[in-house]
Amino acid sequence: MRTTSRGLIAALALTPLLAGCFAPGDDAAGGGGGPSGRLRIAMAIPPVQALSPYSNDATVLSKLSVAEGLTALDKNGTAKPALAKSWKQDDDTTWTFELRKAEFQDGTEFTAQSVVNALDHAGAAKPKPRVLSDVTLTAKAEDADTVTLTTKSPDPVLPLRLASPALAILSAKAYAKDGKVSPVGTGTGPFEITKLTGKTGAALDRFDGYWGGKAKAPGLDVTWIPDGTARANALRGGEADIAEWIPTSQAKLLKPDTRHVVSSLRTDSLILNTGKGVFTDPGLRAAAREAVDGTDLVDSVFGGYADPAQGLFGPAVPWAAERRVPATGRARAASVDQVRSETKGTTLRLAAITNRAELPEAATVLQQRLEKAGFTVKLDVREYTQMEGDLLAGRYDALVFSRVTLLDTGDAVAYLASDFTSDGVYNIARLKDAEVDKAIQAAAAESDMKRRQEKIMKAESEILRTDAVVPLVHERVVQGIATDVEGVVLDPRERALVDLDTHLK
Amino acid sequence: MAVAHLPAARPYIGRLAAGRALAGAALLAAVAALPWLSGSDPARTVLRARSADQDPTPAQLAVVREQLGLDQGPWVHLAHWLGGLPRGDAGVSWVSGAPVMPQVGTALSVSLTLMLGALVVTALVAALVCARTVFLGSRRRLRQDRTGTTAAVLAALPKFLLASVLATVCGVWWGWFPSSGWAGPQSMVLPSLALGIPSGAMLGGLLDQALPAAFHEPWARTAYAVGLPPGNIARNALRRTLPGMLPQLLPTVVALVGGAVAVEKIFNIPGLGRLALESAVAQDLPVLQTATLALVLLGVSAGILIRALRHALLGRPLRDGALPALHRPPLVPPRSLRWITAACAVALLALVTAGLLRDPLQVDTAARLVSPSLEHPLGTDALGRDLLARLGHGALRTAGVALAVTVVSAVTGLLLGMAPRASAGPTEVASTLPAVLTGLLIAGVTGPSVWGAAIAVCVVGWSPYAAQTAALLEQERASGHIAASVALGAGRLHLLRRHLLPAVLPALLRNALLRLPTAVLVLASLGFLGLGEQPPTPEWGRLLSENQPYAELAPWTVLGPAAALVVLSVLAVTGSALGHKKGE
Repeated sequence: MRTTSRGLIAALALTPLLAGCFAPGDDAAGGGGGPSGRLRIAMAIPPVQALSPYSNDATVLSKLSVAEGLTALDKNGTAKPALAKSWKQDDDTTWTFELRKAEFQDGTEFTAQSVVNALDHAGAAKPKPRVLSDVTLTAKAEDADTVTLTTKSPDPVLPLRLASPALAILSAKAYAKDGKVSPVGTGTGPFEITKLTGKTGAALDRFDGYWGGKAKAPGLDVTWIPDGTARANALRGGEADIAEWIPTSQAKLLKPDTRHVVSSLRTDSLILNTGKGVFTDPGLRAAAREAVDGTDLVDSVFGGYADPAQGLFGPAVPWAAERRVPATGRARAASVDQVRSETKGTTLRLAAITNRAELPEAATVLQQRLEKAGFTVKLDVREYTQMEGDLLAGRYDALVFSRVTLLDTGDAVAYLASDFTSDGVYNIARLKDAEVDKAIQAAAAESDMKRRQEKIMKAESEILRTDAVVPLVHERVVQGIATDVEGVVLDPRERALVDLDTHLK
Repeated sequence: MAVAHLPAARPYIGRLAAGRALAGAALLAAVAALPWLSGSDPARTVLRARSADQDPTPAQLAVVREQLGLDQGPWVHLAHWLGGLPRGDAGVSWVSGAPVMPQVGTALSVSLTLMLGALVVTALVAALVCARTVFLGSRRRLRQDRTGTTAAVLAALPKFLLASVLATVCGVWWGWFPSSGWAGPQSMVLPSLALGIPSGAMLGGLLDQALPAAFHEPWARTAYAVGLPPGNIARNALRRTLPGMLPQLLPTVVALVGGAVAVEKIFNIPGLGRLALESAVAQDLPVLQTATLALVLLGVSAGILIRALRHALLGRPLRDGALPALHRPPLVPPRSLRWITAACAVALLALVTAGLLRDPLQVDTAARLVSPSLEHPLGTDALGRDLLARLGHGALRTAGVALAVTVVSAVTGLLLGMAPRASAGPTEVASTLPAVLTGLLIAGVTGPSVWGAAIAVCVVGWSPYAAQTAALLEQERASGHIAASVALGAGRLHLLRRHLLPAVLPALLRNALLRLPTAVLVLASLGFLGLGEQPPTPEWGRLLSENQPYAELAPWTVLGPAAALVVLSVLAVTGSALGHKKGE
């Protein structure tokens, strides 16, 4: 008798505990799909700062069409109107933007003052968003729908910059005194965040006051699933309608009609440390370049979901192929015997990061190729944050790395400048080459878009000449989309996913 | 220090509390000093966690450093954090800027719920594992010993692999349960199974070994002769053996609150393990410290609860030193024991010899994920490497390191368990501490190293053995024959050698052998910190984790290593049983 009552009490005591523990994520998983027409989306990277546009989370705001900037990027990567109807450049440092009539999701009106307020907050944010790191921007409201933007030094890519999700315009309510920014119910996009549950999920409803019309889907239920296999499972098990970033190991398990492939801006390359160790010798760098070959990674490690590298910029950068300049004047590759005698058996430290599953596998293949060319190679595979310090301090001879080639400025120069100029903050290759610096500076100063692109490709060829970086493959992204979903945006920039037209059939 | 002394309540409890406070404080201090120990700038890791694209320019880093007050050093920060705690304020997360307390609270409640689910499964599986012994023993038909194969097989199943398989089969293929998420009791089923089955087998295996001794005691004979129902005898036998095993719940089940990261990832459960790992990697100290504190408090309160439960079960005899000692009866080893041992030994030997003749590193991108064939008897992995070769070459290293780690942990545990008053606190604290956390501390101090993983696992791995030793010794010391020996003038060394150690060692050995596969997997789970052997060196734990994504596409890539691990575990358990029998 005593045992029974004890058990009963225990059961009674546990019930509320259990009931309380599942609350988060309830509506994200339960409510969606079916006749309601709400889309269930499994996203990869959970919010780190409650969807603040000044953090990693910014792209979520643009992917889910929550907030918009003054401009947006079109397919070719040029700026197109968004909250600004049109713009013109008055002189080198001054631009005038004409704004459209729009309304914030909290009911307030979108005006020139809201733009000034948003851009001032972005400029004052600590730390400064990446997109503003090399520019000082001043915004001034001329009248209710005209804004003048002034930059300290000439900035030919300002309209591209303004398309960055970090510079999304939110209503005045979004900006708290302590510097926090909340996009919950404060954007101008067709979808409004109604609830954000920590790092697990969010619920969005259609915003009927959107200036561009009414979205077809009545709402979105977002779940963040960092594990790629779990994301693929959610789609295959019918728990999600859209699952982004299916890892290549899972792609083959998806039904072919749910698998959508898009070229990505990511290029995976082998970066050689030109500042210290074995690869200070250009002949050895050339030998490494000749030894490795991206094509055999494409079918093996990447399971076909990649393109062999053409250069630093792949097919996702539409103008790259036609403006490419072949690299000339490269050093002659050392032969196997020369490599052996020159390295004198020094072990080459090849680093790879575990954050992308394909990279350690690629590193293993490269290790074998390099050893065939006469090098002695030791692998070091770790989580990125565990090795970043060592990488920037130049403690490795080589690194297999995946890099986005157009950063949030939408402009290639930022990437080239940070990674390959003598004083670049992210110069893992420790490249110090006057010609490269000159070529990148020339591209940065060019304001005509076509000529700028040509100069960028000239800089690319200068960089490849040094063999400081050996491009391997251009990644492709697999998006999982259930067959009854229409109108998902496949964006190489990973900035767009759901828009007005996305809906369940 | 009289061996058969009654634990005089006050000072004993005082010392216990001091031990707990000291261990908890030491751990929190180590965590608070993590960025300064690891030498990697927290400003950079925090900046990186906030924004992957952000360039770590000196100016940006300075801004973050100023924001977080990093220049003040670890102790000012620790004092500030401690000062807020009485008000229920654990500060704000360095990465997100959100208050820490609600985050950790939610994650803890999720993990606790999951742990309770796992506890239910553990109890069920443990009951199934020892069902036969209980049934036969309560009817006095227990003549033959058991091989312990079932327990060894189940205990050797890697939890993350079990989780993957359950998510795919029951979640995706059959659609019985959600494949991921945490949206209601139905999402608890699969993760609880994945966590509970190996734990249940481990605890069941230990219990199964202890039960025959209880059934062999005179009271059981009397009860049977008097005609008491078997259920009654079984209940009393369990009451007699459970107290020795209860402390194992702490490192096996309660530890899942912080240590189930892999399963939390696969099922996308927002638990404490993931939160602690993320904050540790980003060096988000307020979150990490609060999570650690939660784990410490949990370990200590679970420890107290288990102690109370044990004392309630054993009752007066323990206090009065009138507990009869449990000693295993001579049972006939089953004939199959020899066969199973031999079969496992032959299988492993064949695997190693065949594997050693092949090249484990030869990458052949054309022969990717080839299914088993004559040319590749166990198939190939994602890079076209021969799995047989990789298993064979990895066998010695894997078994060697895991064995070394287990031996060091068991010996440490044994020594510490002999001083239960001093070690109870540290044991409780260490048992809920995830190995990843010590791994991070070790990686910070040593940098990437082959032995780092082994050290990190040893640092926390001793706790199950210490808990077991302490519990068994307490019972043994309370037994009548010890008092008799003392009365006859036995010295402490004599007591230790002739009475105490013989009572502890067999159970400790079984425990260690059942935990051997876990050691292999935990060692491999620290690879992302750069601890342990670096790829492409073949190593069983790594084989399992690197092939896990291909489990569905190419099942042989994980079946081979998992089977090898199971065979190793069965061989260890049956082999030791065989050796034990020979020795008698």
